Amino acid sequence: MKEKIVAFHDKYYKFLLAIPISFLLFSFIYIGFFYYKNNDIMYKDISLTGGTSAIIYEKINSNELKQFLFDKLEDVSIKEISDLVTQEQKAVIIETRSSAEETKDVLEEYLGHKLTEENSSFEFTGSSLSESFYKQLLLAMVFAFVFMAIVIFIMFRIFVPSAAVVLSAFADILMTLVAVNLFGMKISTAGIVAFLMLIGYSVDTDILLTNRVLKRKEGSLNHKIFGAFKTGMTMTLTAIAAVGVALFIVKSFSVVLTQIFSILIIGLLFDILNTWVTNVSIIKWYVEEKEKK
Amino acid sequence: MVCRREREEMKLKLTWRIWILIICLFFSFLTVFGIPPSFLQKGVLITSVESNSTAFEQGLRQGQIITKIDSQQVSSLNDFTASLHGKFDSNESIKLIITTKEGEVILYSNKTPQITVSEIPKTKIKLGLDLAGGSRALVKAQDFDLDSSAVRDLVDITNNRLNEFGISDVKVVPVSDLSGNNFMLVEIAGATPKDLQDILAKQGKFEAKIGNDTVFIGGKDRDIASVSRNAQDSGIERCGESGGSYFCRFRFNIYLSEEAAKRHANITAGLDIDPENPEYLSKKLDLYLDDKLVDSLFIGVSLKGQVTTQVMISGSGTGVTEQDAFTDAQNSMHKLQTILITGSLPYKLEIVKLDTISPLLGKEFTKSILLAGIAALLVVSIIVFARYRKFKSSLALLFTSFSEIIIILGIASLIQWNLDLPSIAGILATIGTGIDQQIIIMDETKQEKYLSLKERMKRAFAIILGAYFTGLVAMIPLMWAGAGLLKGFAVTTIIGITTGVLITRPAFTDMMKKIGE
Repeated sequence: MKEKIVAFHDKYYKFLLAIPISFLLFSFIYIGFFYYKNNDIMYKDISLTGGTSAIIYEKINSNELKQFLFDKLEDVSIKEISDLVTQEQKAVIIETRSSAEETKDVLEEYLGHKLTEENSSFEFTGSSLSESFYKQLLLAMVFAFVFMAIVIFIMFRIFVPSAAVVLSAFADILMTLVAVNLFGMKISTAGIVAFLMLIGYSVDTDILLTNRVLKRKEGSLNHKIFGAFKTGMTMTLTAIAAVGVALFIVKSFSVVLTQIFSILIIGLLFDILNTWVTNVSIIKWYVEEKEKK
Repeated sequence: MVCRREREEMKLKLTWRIWILIICLFFSFLTVFGIPPSFLQKGVLITSVESNSTAFEQGLRQGQIITKIDSQQVSSLNDFTASLHGKFDSNESIKLIITTKEGEVILYSNKTPQITVSEIPKTKIKLGLDLAGGSRALVKAQDFDLDSSAVRDLVDITNNRLNEFGISDVKVVPVSDLSGNNFMLVEIAGATPKDLQDILAKQGKFEAKIGNDTVFIGGKDRDIASVSRNAQDSGIERCGESGGSYFCRFRFNIYLSEEAAKRHANITAGLDIDPENPEYLSKKLDLYLDDKLVDSLFIGVSLKGQVTTQVMISGSGTGVTEQDAFTDAQNSMHKLQTILITGSLPYKLEIVKLDTISPLLGKEFTKSILLAGIAALLVVSIIVFARYRKFKSSLALLFTSFSEIIIILGIASLIQWNLDLPSIAGILATIGTGIDQQIIIMDETKQEKYLSLKERMKRAFAIILGAYFTGLVAMIPLMWAGAGLLKGFAVTTIIGITTGVLITRPAFTDMMKKIGE
């Protein structure tokens, strides 16, 4: 069985690269169209566009509320928060582009009582500020990525394997972004933090692979790759399981953590493809070419 | 004899790296729970003491712990309310002995002590606003480029104003972002003061004019020498009703600087006597706050051309009931006094972000995060056990990850870092990468058995250091991006991965070696 897989991989690993390449191509085209249509690379929630997020700690029928708010506030969306165990509704989150004062007035009109800090929370971000937040967070992403790439190049000091690691991390982030857009997820500041986390998570397995292949003298190339694969898959699957369980628990409770965990899981799934197909194929190709010379 | 040998082996098992981990863990427990551990302490914590109250004068202060009232032990909030219950029903002054950890305080009063109390927090961990509740405002100048010295002035003035309003437990700091914009960040724990927006965003430009001539402007270092705030020279003068609503007039004295008083004399010298109202001069003293007319005062004839430093300022408040009008007048007076004392800012302010977060959800939230963390660790240990079939190793992995959380929390409480949601996300991220690295170490110990253990560990560390540095540099831009509101994520992640690489990973490696041998 194992020999068969090895023989298959030896024969076809270059062709396997077609999978990530087609994914990447699709991603680029998709993001291009997305940008053309929305003038941005992702859907943003009010923490990045500016507006108000209000939480009311009451049992409120969210459909009725939405009907009421629909023509009174700008761009309203409503989510419910419920208890993990009893599934009983605990609060509603109202997000709108309107200002905090306006939102508060309209909500008080609907509820028929005052909203105080006892029964509600309000978060307001001005649109110019959130716009600059967004730009800076994207900039922070770019910087983080570049810094990471520099460390990788210093660490391995060989172009092709280093570039393979950086490419895998890049593909990972791009594919995750595409998936998130396809799901129609509105990204918050926390979501961008999740992408930052992804940079760290995705290069871990790539570093492991590259280190085992380049710096070990013992064993065949396939042996080294397979060893790295076993360790790396344990790492990624453990992470996916842990994040998945955490996601299940916070899902009803925290919108912020739900988004972070969802993006991480998507990213980790793509990491499997990008480390064990993209990166493995490139580094195997590189080592075999070098051995021929 | 056998027993002794076993003990020697036990001793051998703990290498210095493991000892460092144990010591760090011990100190982290101390910083998280305090000495003596706060969950063992009985009593209630004083969270605020009204200034100028009897309680304050007698030495009760914020942060003290009340253990006894009269002869009744106080170990919970219920005890506290029960011990005061019914004591102040009659209006007579009674004696109250309050015992705190610092000593006894005796109060004679006819009112309940003007203090607020809460249960003693079980840990020293400080939660951020988004978990503990409170308010946060990010303020910037409108059409004015705040440089770092201007923002420091703004912080000073705001601090003054907040103090004048009696708002405690507040943090006002300058922050800047990646594009070099400067902001003022105001964070207030607990209840959000009313009119916060007003206090923060008011430019506070106070001008007193006669006709078009400015007589004096607000600010203690400028034209105002002092502002009366005692009951004698300031207060509500009278209330009345007009057209179905109520109004109350307030007045207070201010003292002008010599220079402003002379200016006042020069301007009034040129005024005529009002023919219709011969007691007063022809023009009034108009008071403007942020370019809006607050009040107009008649100027008595006797003041014409006189150098006088004492000036009475007045204004009014309105309301649906007399009580409302009274409160409104009091608030307006307070605001005006504050602005006269603290002076104005040379620019208009804009609140670009304002969050008021209820403390209600925080507790349950913390619970659900803890639950999520425990569940995640459990799943991890099940997977690791299933994969390696080694009970000891799996236990060591779990113990190491758990230690890492405690050490991060310990360092966070040591540097008084407020744990907000981004910080918690950071801790989760660290634990995730931490477990990944421990899996690398476990696998390395199993591989290439002909190599020495030491050699294999060295290899594991090469990978771990690589991962560490990539993680570290990826966090650095986040320290500044978005006015530092996501800094918590970077801070806990950096604390976490650094702890990992310096303390927990080496200890785990040694544990693996020992288990491997």
